[in-house]
Amino acid sequence: MRKQLLYEISKPVIAAVGVQNVLRAIVESITRGTGSKGCSLLVLDREGGKLYHRVSYGISDDFVEKGAVEVDETLREVLGGKSISIPDVSVDPRVRHGKEMAREGVASILSIPMRSYGGIRGVMRVYSSERRDFTKDEIDFLDSIAELSGLVLEKEEEHDRVALEAERAREELHRMSDERERFLYFMRMVAHDLKAPLAAVQSYLKVMLRGSTGPLTEKQEAWLDRSVKRIDQMLELISDIVDMSKLEAGMIAPELSTVSWTGVLENCVEVARGLTDAKGIELAVDIPPDLPEIFGSEVRLCQLLNNLVSNAVRYTPPGKRISIVARQEDDEVVVYVEDEGCGIRPELLPKVFDDFFKGDPESGEGTGLGLSICKRIVEMHHGDIRIESPAPGKAEGTRVTFSIPKGAICDLTYWEKQKEEEP
Amino acid sequence: MPPKILVIDDDPDIVDALSVLLEGEGYEVVSARDGEEGLARIREESPDLIILDLLMPKLDGYGVCRTLTDPRWSKWRETPIIVLTSVREEASQRRYELETGMRMDVDDYIEKPLDPDVVVDRVRKIMARRGD
Repeated sequence: MRKQLLYEISKPVIAAVGVQNVLRAIVESITRGTGSKGCSLLVLDREGGKLYHRVSYGISDDFVEKGAVEVDETLREVLGGKSISIPDVSVDPRVRHGKEMAREGVASILSIPMRSYGGIRGVMRVYSSERRDFTKDEIDFLDSIAELSGLVLEKEEEHDRVALEAERAREELHRMSDERERFLYFMRMVAHDLKAPLAAVQSYLKVMLRGSTGPLTEKQEAWLDRSVKRIDQMLELISDIVDMSKLEAGMIAPELSTVSWTGVLENCVEVARGLTDAKGIELAVDIPPDLPEIFGSEVRLCQLLNNLVSNAVRYTPPGKRISIVARQEDDEVVVYVEDEGCGIRPELLPKVFDDFFKGDPESGEGTGLGLSICKRIVEMHHGDIRIESPAPGKAEGTRVTFSIPKGAICDLTYWEKQKEEEP
Repeated sequence: MPPKILVIDDDPDIVDALSVLLEGEGYEVVSARDGEEGLARIREESPDLIILDLLMPKLDGYGVCRTLTDPRWSKWRETPIIVLTSVREEASQRRYELETGMRMDVDDYIEKPLDPDVVVDRVRKIMARRGD
């Protein structure tokens, strides 16, 4: 409860002023508030053997720059979760660098563990120039602040990690072979050359249907209308096949960047609203404003959601509802799209993610590739996708849920690995 | 004098379809088959609106847009542009920007295949803005 509360308080503050400023404000306020000489936040290195000054107030640069602090018996206890007060550093056998402390004018030290979600990240130290002990109340209070610092640091590390991985993936891109570049170009040209004539014919037909070339008989109008629909399907199929090849060849590399989940989802809601409004379907949206970031393809994540929504729209009658719900659960972002449509027969459920699967083979709509594209997109972001029908707790409808780990890094070689695993 | 629209597209069928449609709505339509010819037409005709394809021989649509930002073209700089894209997607503009990483300073996008109602609606809106 305390941790959650601190976390909630810290989030908007960090967003507003930045990590470094928050940490500085923390050490400064503690120094002033406790009437001490100074305060530092020391962060544990990866191996757990040394502590580094992350931010300090009130103590000299010399003292800070003397370097990393070895984790000794006492610090090990602090890192184990116990606050330790040393009221007189000049006589205490636990203090190794008594001389330096004296030179700095430090008489007492209080060391408090910095906790966070991921464990103890380091130590907060309060230095006093007078010999003193800290009361239990004081320590309790400072413990909360240390915990807040830990959470701030964790947030920063998470951001750094995503940025670092992003950089790595970008380097990978640079090494992308000419062959792949050529293939990408080839795919773009194929798509363009297959679609261009269809698009031209389609445009003609629509201008005729509009009556711009003179009046049409009922029969002409009906046939033109059917032609338009057939061409639409063909265009959709070409797009899906091109997308599929791009995904399988890891060709989406140029689209990769650090993406905010909230941004992607809000973008897709806009598109979804266009589809649901046109059919008189109610759209219910529940998306938290502070979902984490991910290194991936915004285009593909949007495509994933758009595919799910357009499926839902296809099978939902007017007057019913479609919901888009997102949640952060532990280390994952979980999103589902639920409709109140006709649902899927249980024996078909295991097949829906197969290539060219169609719920209703008679229907001219859809290419049968939508959900298999979705599955590929989710899996290359290290996630899972599943379908339930009827929707959980309901008598009808369908729910498709996908979950993608927080801070996931899109894997371009996913498809190659997949092939290697196959016998 | 009816408002003049310049259609720049290498696909003669698209040019024809747009001409029939827009002439039917009372506009004067002139056309060009690539970017270079398009720029020449812009100089000659000073159109009220340009409908511009992106993938074209000689000089593509991006090239035309870039050229118009040159000071020597400042006379035509304010001419509104509607870009024709064949990127099929509901959120075409957004996706286009993401896929190409390019943000173009244009007034609107229309997708191929053309939806005549959409074309007429966008053209009318831009012309109305010009009329103000």
